[in-house]
Amino acid sequence: MARTAAGNSRTLPWLRLATAAAFLFAPTAAGSQARAVPAASASPPDDGQWVMPAKNYASTRYSALSQINRQNVTKLKPVVNVATGHKRGHEAAPLVVGSTMYIVTPFPNNVFALDLTKPGAPVKWAFKPRPRRAAQGVACCDIVNRGAAYANGRIFFNTLDGQTIALDAATGKEVWRTLLGNINKGETITMAPLVADGKVLVGNSGGEFGVRGWLTALDAGSGRIVWKAYSTGPDKDVLIGPAFKPFYPMDQGKDLGVKSWPPDQWKIGGGTVWGWISYDPKLKMVYYGTGNPGPWNPEQRPGDNKWTTGIFARDIATGQARWFYQSSPHDLYDHDDINESILLDMPVNGRVRPVLVRPGRNGFMYVIDRVTGQVYSADPYGFINSAKGVDLRTGRLIPVKEKEPKMGRVIRNICPAAPGAKDWNPSAFSPRTGLLYVPHINLCMDMGTMEANYIAGTPYIGADVKMYAGPGGHRGVFTAWDPVRRRKAFEIKEDLPLWSGALATAGDLVFYGTMDGWLKAIDAASGKLLWRIRLASGIIGQPVSYRGPDGRQYIAVMSGVGGWAGAIVSAGLDPRDPTAALGFVNAVRDLPGRTKAEGRLYVFALPRR
Amino acid sequence: MRRLLPGLAAVALVACEGRQSVTGGDGLHSGQFNSLFLIFLLVTAFFYLLVIAFLVAAVVRRRGRAEDRPEKSGGEGGFRLILIGWVALVALGLTGLTAASYFSDAAAGGARPANAIRIAVTANQWWWDVRYLDPVPANTIRTANELHLPVGVPVHIQLKSNDVIHSFWVPNLAGKQDLIPGRITDITLIPRKEGLYRGQCAEFCGLQHAHMALDVTVEPMETFEAWRRSQLRPAPPPATPLAVTGYNYIMTQECSACHNISGTPASGQVAPDLTHIASRRSIGAGTFPMSRGHLYAWIADPQSAKPGNHMPYVGLEPHELHGVVAYLETLK
Amino acid sequence: MSSRFRAVSAALIAMVALPSCDRETRENRGKPLPESVPGIVGDPRAAEYEGNAFHIAQGQRYYVWMNCNGCHAHGGGGMGPPLMDAEWRYGGSMEQIVDTIREGRPNGMPSFDQKLSEQQMWQLAAFVRTLSAQPRQDALPGRADEMSNIEPRTLDERRPVERTSPAADQARPR
Repeated sequence: MARTAAGNSRTLPWLRLATAAAFLFAPTAAGSQARAVPAASASPPDDGQWVMPAKNYASTRYSALSQINRQNVTKLKPVVNVATGHKRGHEAAPLVVGSTMYIVTPFPNNVFALDLTKPGAPVKWAFKPRPRRAAQGVACCDIVNRGAAYANGRIFFNTLDGQTIALDAATGKEVWRTLLGNINKGETITMAPLVADGKVLVGNSGGEFGVRGWLTALDAGSGRIVWKAYSTGPDKDVLIGPAFKPFYPMDQGKDLGVKSWPPDQWKIGGGTVWGWISYDPKLKMVYYGTGNPGPWNPEQRPGDNKWTTGIFARDIATGQARWFYQSSPHDLYDHDDINESILLDMPVNGRVRPVLVRPGRNGFMYVIDRVTGQVYSADPYGFINSAKGVDLRTGRLIPVKEKEPKMGRVIRNICPAAPGAKDWNPSAFSPRTGLLYVPHINLCMDMGTMEANYIAGTPYIGADVKMYAGPGGHRGVFTAWDPVRRRKAFEIKEDLPLWSGALATAGDLVFYGTMDGWLKAIDAASGKLLWRIRLASGIIGQPVSYRGPDGRQYIAVMSGVGGWAGAIVSAGLDPRDPTAALGFVNAVRDLPGRTKAEGRLYVFALPRR
Repeated sequence: MRRLLPGLAAVALVACEGRQSVTGGDGLHSGQFNSLFLIFLLVTAFFYLLVIAFLVAAVVRRRGRAEDRPEKSGGEGGFRLILIGWVALVALGLTGLTAASYFSDAAAGGARPANAIRIAVTANQWWWDVRYLDPVPANTIRTANELHLPVGVPVHIQLKSNDVIHSFWVPNLAGKQDLIPGRITDITLIPRKEGLYRGQCAEFCGLQHAHMALDVTVEPMETFEAWRRSQLRPAPPPATPLAVTGYNYIMTQECSACHNISGTPASGQVAPDLTHIASRRSIGAGTFPMSRGHLYAWIADPQSAKPGNHMPYVGLEPHELHGVVAYLETLK
Repeated sequence: MSSRFRAVSAALIAMVALPSCDRETRENRGKPLPESVPGIVGDPRAAEYEGNAFHIAQGQRYYVWMNCNGCHAHGGGGMGPPLMDAEWRYGGSMEQIVDTIREGRPNGMPSFDQKLSEQQMWQLAAFVRTLSAQPRQDALPGRADEMSNIEPRTLDERRPVERTSPAADQARPR
């Protein structure tokens, strides 16, 4: 792979020429058949707004604006720099609707509407939901929020204490609020909702607390629950019915959500839905992944632990499951499968197929058929020594026996570590290059397991973890992945773990942030760094791009280090204990010296002519 | 001496009490060990007698002073013959013992039949956590301080320890096997005779080492299967007002932080599973036989019953105690 | 036997025997306790539990059993604040720690009032104190409940990526 990257950068002018040629002939050339394109129904033409964190239902995080390009990006300057008033991890994506920007802060989840027509973007309105303070104690990995969603004049967002709230986007008045989670059981909500087909889709967090995971659809008008699908338990709770046709025999059978667990364990078995949801409007199916089974100690839950660490396809109207694929049956290392699914149409074995591409937490890049759930390919995009591969005949991950956690023992050098080869921070897909831009991490871990005790509202983990840099010594990697050729196009090594999302634009730029506060713009084709700027705090947010009321293109991002990776700074943890923050502190002991806790919104633009 | 005799007899007779007896031979391997013991006994007894016979002969022959006897010539050859015979005999005896010991050990350690019932036993200070494994995870059974085994069927037991070194020993059925933190050891049993047996921790593991016993029931296959099915049932809901009081106490107070009762919110994992506690033969890992009175005593003050064990003195009010016992008694 | 030898042996035996007189008490049950008054400083139990080897060992066990390590790790913190540093949001005395365990705290520390007995809370507090204070070495348990912490053995030597000028440090052919 390194050879590929090297080859690319050496032959840069050639490559550029080739790419340019490909763009020119894109509609007709045979070459275009060899490239992936986003599912058309899920990625409508760009209107210059940014109404959901993933940009569109296909989750491309791609802006078709091209004012800022490879030539002028070096002139990019901050035009807005405002404090959010909070100093914990800012993972949210700003939204832009018309001439207003909406941001959600970490706990206490205040929402601000900023007027983009005025200089400095003054606050139009602010909404304070006042969630319960005790929710902070059951949020596993910092008290983050991953953003709001806009639809039909309303802003929808979740609060840490388990509520979904709808606001009038114009006035900031509350329209409805629905309490969905119970913090006394350890349930929180950190994910960004997805609004589709008149429903608000929300899932819970708390896989480290033995909660039972679910995804629910609320009526966008009233906030009433339309359906609720659990990730464990009997088929009727999981909304598995006659329409359920999983591709692989391992996922077929009655009540597997009960049978694949020791008695009663499914009730506290995790499978939370705290990540990203994609939606195919043509098939009317939603796609989302389920989190880790609880506890982390795998010996306490023999069996495949359905339906955790897998991906569900559901009918959006009824919530009935269509298929399921379990990427890590009987998960051993907290490899939640909640990462984003990018909906693409691309050639597989000579035929263009509707697929979803998922950079899995277990280190494999999955290409899965959107209709059937068949896995076309699963290739490692990071360093993996805990699994030998994925058996495409059975769909099963092939674990490495020596790396299996054993109670009372410490298993060393497990790669990837608990946050996987990539955690929640979403990738971006550019139809212009056909590449998927994956910000991810390169961490390994030592893991010692012991009997976990279940007490409602307290952690249910049963593992001591200590993470450190994987092979090469770098902790972050930015990978451009070619899903058709199933290989890396280029790779950028980052010293610190990458915990921010990526943004691709039609100016052939890709933006991402680092935990020591650099916002970077790279060439989408070659990976060459073109521009960077140091922000007040580490970046773990999701950069977005929009057309402002003045017609100019802007880049916006929140800066505020935190999250699981940055808790050492945002929560002031003690670096002397390697197991702090579930072992992440050991990997980032140098972070307090390299950034500080802050919370700011930045907007960048080219200078006016 | 006469007064001491009954006491000595009592000590000796304890070994004959059937439930915990090294000479029971109620399992295939303990039977083999018995045979091995017998072989050792016979061989060593034979040699002992031989040595004694030589000694006696020597004493008899050497009576009198040395200078009184004339120097004998030509005795060298006979002596050599005897010496060679003696060495050969010793070599033969030792080889026999080694072989016998090797083969019984190999039989005990090597056997892991495919049809064996698989059990995982985890030792804690001072109780046994028992899980019956099953290919279908939902059929896993969790119990504590008891083993139910079908007669004649091999049982493969995985042994782990959560704290210090313990040793698993059901003398009637098989030999000892240590449980070592961080390691998995195993032992295979094949019970040959129905009955009630007692297992005992055989490695000193702390204050209550003596009260770390295991009730073993060897029963016909049908009875075992019935027991297994009953163990898979979740706890019934409390029926009487008194039991409801106890249920509420257990669910909301200290008990559920450590104990699990299937079918209820109590999901603690670090103390014995209580789902079927009333069906067990004893409480406190063999400290008391199961009875209402002993349940009262145990819950009211576990620290007088078994000082140093990890169940704390909680100090229940009388009505709470009545309720908790009433509820636990329904957990058959 | 000379009288001198006898005196020396007597002295030796006394030396061996006397330390056992100072053996700390091991109170399994907890004394019948007066109704506790939360939060006051000067509770006589504080001195009884703090620095007592048996109680610290018990507390260490409850620290894992009650999932304290899930939030506070082994002192470094995570979902909860660190316990090994000098900063105490709600006070770091034995009485205050017991109070925190018993009553919980508004930013997420749950109450263990109905999950632990009074004595267990004191034992837990005694252990928590050893994380930050400088405990009596002879009172500390011999065992560690966390995994042994040897330095990371990465597959490759752990070395930082060189940081150079922005244009040069990306996608460099290697």
